[in-house]
Amino acid sequence: MKRSFLMGVAALALVVGTADAAELKFKPGEDSKFNWASFEEFKKGHDLKGQTLTIFGPWRGEDEALFKSVYAYFVEATGVDLKYSSSENYEQQIVIDTQAGSPPDVAILPQPGLIADLASKGHLTPLGDETKQWLLDNYAAGQSWVDLSTYNGKDGKPALYAFPYKIDVKSLVWYVPENFEDAGYEVPKTMEELKALTDKIAADGEKPWCIGLGSGGATGWPATDWVEDLMLRTQPADVYDKWVKNEIPFTDPAVTGALDEFGWFARNDKFVDGGAAAVASTDFRDSPKGLFASPPKCYLHHQASFIPSFFPEGTVIGEDADFFYMPPYESKKELGNPVLGAGTLAMITKDTPAARAFIEFLKTPIAHEVWMAQTSFLTPYKSVNVETYGNPPLKKQGEILLNATTFRFDGSDLMPGKIGAGAFWTGMVDFVGGKSSADVASGVQKAWDAIK
Amino acid sequence: MQQLLAAILTMIVGVLACAAYFWSTNFILDWIFPSKGLSGKAASRNLRITNAIRPWLFLAPALFALTIYLIYPVYQSVLLSFYDRAGVNFVGWSNYFWMVNDGEFRQSIFNNFLWLLVVPALSTFFGLIIAALTDRIWWGNIAKTLIFMPMAISFVGAAVIWKFIYDYRAEGAEQIGLLNAIVVALGGVPQAWITLPFWNNFFLMVILIWIQTGFAMVILSAALRGIPEETIEAAVIDGANGWQIFFKIMVPQIWGTIAVVWTTITILVLKVFDIVLAMTNGQWQSQVLANLMFDWMFRGGGDFGRGASIAVVIMILVVPIMIWNIRNAAKEMRSH
Amino acid sequence: MNPATRSPLMWAVHLSVLLIVALWTMPTAGLLISSLRDKDQLAVSGWWTALATSSRNAVARAPSPDSQVERDGKFVISGNILDGQAGQISAFGFSSREPAAFKAGETAELSGGEKLTVQADGSFEIVSDTRMEGSRGQRIFFTAAAPPRFTLDNYREVLRAEGIGASFINSLTVAVPSTVIPILVAAFAAYALAWMPFPGRAILIAVVVGLLVVPLQMSLIPLLKLYNGVGAFFGVPAKTYMGIWLAHTGFGLPLAIYLLRNYMAGLPREIMESARVDGASDFDIFVKIILPLSFPALASFAIFQFLWTWNDLLVAIVFLGTGQDQLVLTGRLVNLLGSRGGNWEILTASAFITIVVPLIVFFALQRYLVRGLLAGSVKGG
Repeated sequence: MKRSFLMGVAALALVVGTADAAELKFKPGEDSKFNWASFEEFKKGHDLKGQTLTIFGPWRGEDEALFKSVYAYFVEATGVDLKYSSSENYEQQIVIDTQAGSPPDVAILPQPGLIADLASKGHLTPLGDETKQWLLDNYAAGQSWVDLSTYNGKDGKPALYAFPYKIDVKSLVWYVPENFEDAGYEVPKTMEELKALTDKIAADGEKPWCIGLGSGGATGWPATDWVEDLMLRTQPADVYDKWVKNEIPFTDPAVTGALDEFGWFARNDKFVDGGAAAVASTDFRDSPKGLFASPPKCYLHHQASFIPSFFPEGTVIGEDADFFYMPPYESKKELGNPVLGAGTLAMITKDTPAARAFIEFLKTPIAHEVWMAQTSFLTPYKSVNVETYGNPPLKKQGEILLNATTFRFDGSDLMPGKIGAGAFWTGMVDFVGGKSSADVASGVQKAWDAIK
Repeated sequence: MQQLLAAILTMIVGVLACAAYFWSTNFILDWIFPSKGLSGKAASRNLRITNAIRPWLFLAPALFALTIYLIYPVYQSVLLSFYDRAGVNFVGWSNYFWMVNDGEFRQSIFNNFLWLLVVPALSTFFGLIIAALTDRIWWGNIAKTLIFMPMAISFVGAAVIWKFIYDYRAEGAEQIGLLNAIVVALGGVPQAWITLPFWNNFFLMVILIWIQTGFAMVILSAALRGIPEETIEAAVIDGANGWQIFFKIMVPQIWGTIAVVWTTITILVLKVFDIVLAMTNGQWQSQVLANLMFDWMFRGGGDFGRGASIAVVIMILVVPIMIWNIRNAAKEMRSH
Repeated sequence: MNPATRSPLMWAVHLSVLLIVALWTMPTAGLLISSLRDKDQLAVSGWWTALATSSRNAVARAPSPDSQVERDGKFVISGNILDGQAGQISAFGFSSREPAAFKAGETAELSGGEKLTVQADGSFEIVSDTRMEGSRGQRIFFTAAAPPRFTLDNYREVLRAEGIGASFINSLTVAVPSTVIPILVAAFAAYALAWMPFPGRAILIAVVVGLLVVPLQMSLIPLLKLYNGVGAFFGVPAKTYMGIWLAHTGFGLPLAIYLLRNYMAGLPREIMESARVDGASDFDIFVKIILPLSFPALASFAIFQFLWTWNDLLVAIVFLGTGQDQLVLTGRLVNLLGSRGGNWEILTASAFITIVVPLIVFFALQRYLVRGLLAGSVKGG
């Protein structure tokens, strides 16, 4: 008696919290640049009243609010009771929750390596051939997205387990246009020009680059982006693919070559604010602030599209600060314009009608446009109206994505977690600390051999 | 408001249920085997029975919780350490073979021993000194609260604090890390402290000492205040000075508590991982066992077999402390 | 001890405590000051400089040419680069290459021929013979002596966060029973282990010590599995407050039993003997004598257990979940940090907001750590 009463009270305490009120950011039917027809059609086909959907994702803070504005339309259309949650240690929590048998309905994760692991342990539900065909038909460079979303299941057979949604472009170099004007620098079009500019800035007695690898427990990751970007610019994409699967060893000249290219920038005391010794310990969130110092501590900063959140308050992108595409080598024209990116993938961790419906929802243009119209969202979906991009810089990033001849996902996310989120990071820290590229590469390869 | 009421209600019910258990079981025991009001043989027989049963009544909830929440997971871990990364296929001792050949594991063992030597000793020492000194001054409570504060700061906060101490900027630039600012002011060269192999261990240890001294201080201060005033008064009358009273009268009296604090912090050091995770994540050769375990357990989907085998090693390391405690308890019982 | 020898000794005591306190408080003071600073300054200057008048280099932007006015046939844009903040301009410039090329009061000729004058108080004027073009205002670099500037914005931002009140209550709902229950359970067990003879006692004590070392992370998956099983069996949710109280109880018990047993074993035997002679049962002895006598130990453990459960995040998200109605304060604050976990200014402020409750608990329980409690009871009992 006491026990059931206790349970009742506990349950009461849980129920009392109220669900988030669904407030639609853009009123359906009002702004014609949105694809409202897709929303109405989806609304007609789905009724999930009385059902619940739990989503676990990586977005917190501002990003969470943005995602909320998107799923409000899903709630509006279906009447589902949607619960979104996230946590600082989402990687750890999704492992615990799936392993213990209490997963969310839908999980959204940015790490293909982790998804591969979940799929191989049988925690994911295949999305089926229909979704695969949909990706091929509707996403630009559809095959690369299908490849990204296909993993081996528990039975060892490959199947489509994830749905890519929301892309970040990583191949960006940030700068302050007015500082360039003051000093008379030009935005480089080729890697050779970028290197010449680096030399020139150094010759002027200034520091060209701000590089910071610090990120607490994840220290080292910004350097992996550099290496991947340079890898795509020095080697064909299939070498990159082999690299992330370890079909060519880490010690391959192709890999050490990219490491040394990065070393050219980061290991030269004259090229980096604070000197090479500061690279590993400067926090990545602090490093771009040097661009805005008076006098500038540096002129260039390589980082993904999210970095403006760490610019000083009030910085207007496109005016106070801008970015250019990390250029390819003039001498390697055949490699085209490769783009390195990252993104999040949605997958079904508990097969319910609501979870299925949510994946269907992600196939509607409106699910993309609502986020596009705000900030920090890029999509390869061909049917969306690019005019909905919320601001010119976002649109410019969308163009970089469109002009890409090659798109590759962040390699460190594709590698097994112990490498891509471990040995590779620590290896890069050792590398900027002065260890030779050959030693670093053989260290990472050794770690990779250990988990095979 | 509704949630607040529900919360208070659940709290009261939960706590009352717990108290009711102890009261009612003891009541029932005394009711079945009364010893009062009975005479002679029956009373002493009942007394013997209740004396045999009552310890287990007292212990039952604790044993229950310990079994479920700690012993069962330990059993699971030991089992898992013989399985592969997904915890499905039996692999025998291979996780342990991998471990002894792993450079990072050996590095962690070495670092852990460093931590074990330094942190418990210094935390306990500072805790004892502070507890003793603050007892004698009028603003002792304020001082204690300030020393206690690091314990109360959430870990994310502590990580930021120490970032602002160990931060490194290049020579010539304005230092925002306090340590480097002091070094520069004294004419030295700034250092990236947490990236200096071997020495960075000590910079990380400082953080744990900073936090744990508050723990040692509170426990030891309670113990110091438990010393009967009469013994101290007697010593004062005998003409002992402050040092003598402290080392010859007080320290021996609380020796048991000092050992307990030392043991507790030693064990905590074996488990320490969040400081290392947040400051270096084991890079620059600062890896420790608990962080290594966490890493294998959860990063990139996790390798449960290897994670569990490292956990087993951590648990084995505590065996000497267990034996020492058995000896102590046995000695105590003999003297009783 | 006579007053003459006592006095210098006491001075030494005061001084050494002061020194230790200063050492221990310095990092926290840094955090406190940082939490009151502007977020952009955190990354560029040390927190100790925030207290003094400092010379800083900054960039301001003049209003855009839209705001120019015609005066005496010239076009003028004017304003104040300090924007209402106190300070004293010493030098200025218009190029990032020479940010301090001119002294306050001087006039600089811009690349387009306009004349820029910046006064020491921050007011400036751009004068041009022709109408100025463009959409962006001129950048003005300046060096200013700025008095300390503090802001409560960081705190405001944290306290205004949506759902923070509910999270506060969630945290209390988790922490209070998770402190009281283990103390009750552990106190009985500790008494049994300290004063009730039974076979296997020493082994049990050793087991408790051994369990202190069990890494928390190890037990999460097996326990959550168990919870899911129990939840499914009884048809109740697996993640409940009940569940997290028991989890915290389980994790906190070894230390509680270890500390309390040690304390209780140190109590004088005579008290218990005399009570036994009076015919009191173990239950009576425990409740009426041991429990009151153990107050200092109970209070000190309560402080720590409360602290751990209050600051805990991992156990809470695993056993209670991360939904709006379950999220504890630590979880809410961490979520404020955004997906990339930056925003130190929020971290600094939230660290001080979460510290308040444990400090209140510490203050409230500190008075139970009083001297003479034991001595008094011995005399009275």
